Amino acid sequence: MDEDQSAEETTFVVEEITTVIKETVESTIGNNSYQHSKINQWTSNIVELSLSQLTKLGKPFKYIVTCIILQKNGAGLHTASSCFWDNSTDGSCTVRWENKTIYCIVSVFGLAI
Amino acid sequence: MDDDQSAEETAFVVDEVSSIVKESLEAVIGRNTYEHKRVNQWTSGVVEQCLGQLSKLGKPFKYIVTCIIMQKNGAGLQSASSCFWDNTTDGSCTVRWENKHLYCIVSVFGLAI
Repeated sequence: MDEDQSAEETTFVVEEITTVIKETVESTIGNNSYQHSKINQWTSNIVELSLSQLTKLGKPFKYIVTCIILQKNGAGLHTASSCFWDNSTDGSCTVRWENKTIYCIVSVFGLAI
Repeated sequence: MDDDQSAEETAFVVDEVSSIVKESLEAVIGRNTYEHKRVNQWTSGVVEQCLGQLSKLGKPFKYIVTCIIMQKNGAGLQSASSCFWDNTTDGSCTVRWENKHLYCIVSVFGLAI
């Protein structure tokens, strides 16, 4: 095993991933309003782009990315998640983003191999 | 390694997991209307109950359970997820459930250790 390997290269770094996700959501949705015909594309794009950025980080992790896009019209929404994993190596991060007509919630789960 | 060990004991069985999720939803939410004060409890209750039942299965998996509860009032919602894992051993299952007043979407991801 590489003793010189920095601990950062094998842990789940929340800030790094949060930045990646925010950029992905901005570039996919930006200032657009909620359009029923486009949101399918947007959610797919967001999860795929996020996943490819994460794999480029080259860390020994399996990833799960989930994205929810919700129209702003007063409906109540609640989400929760629970994980059965290894606390010392695995981690998750959730990013909430919004514009005038849309809420977007992206969650990333990283599990060490 | 156990040659006699059935493949089922180490695979992600979608039907089994679906039934666990449906039972948890019926038990925790049932016919209740959307109540802002209780939704927090429900989402937590659903994910914890599902996770408890899944870990009792005793399979060599890490699990992630996510739950979304949304009030029925006409808003549009789209959800997507993307996974970077081992296709031969890992799997996921999403259950959509509703009653007169709310929608509930539960996703379970199982990753082999």
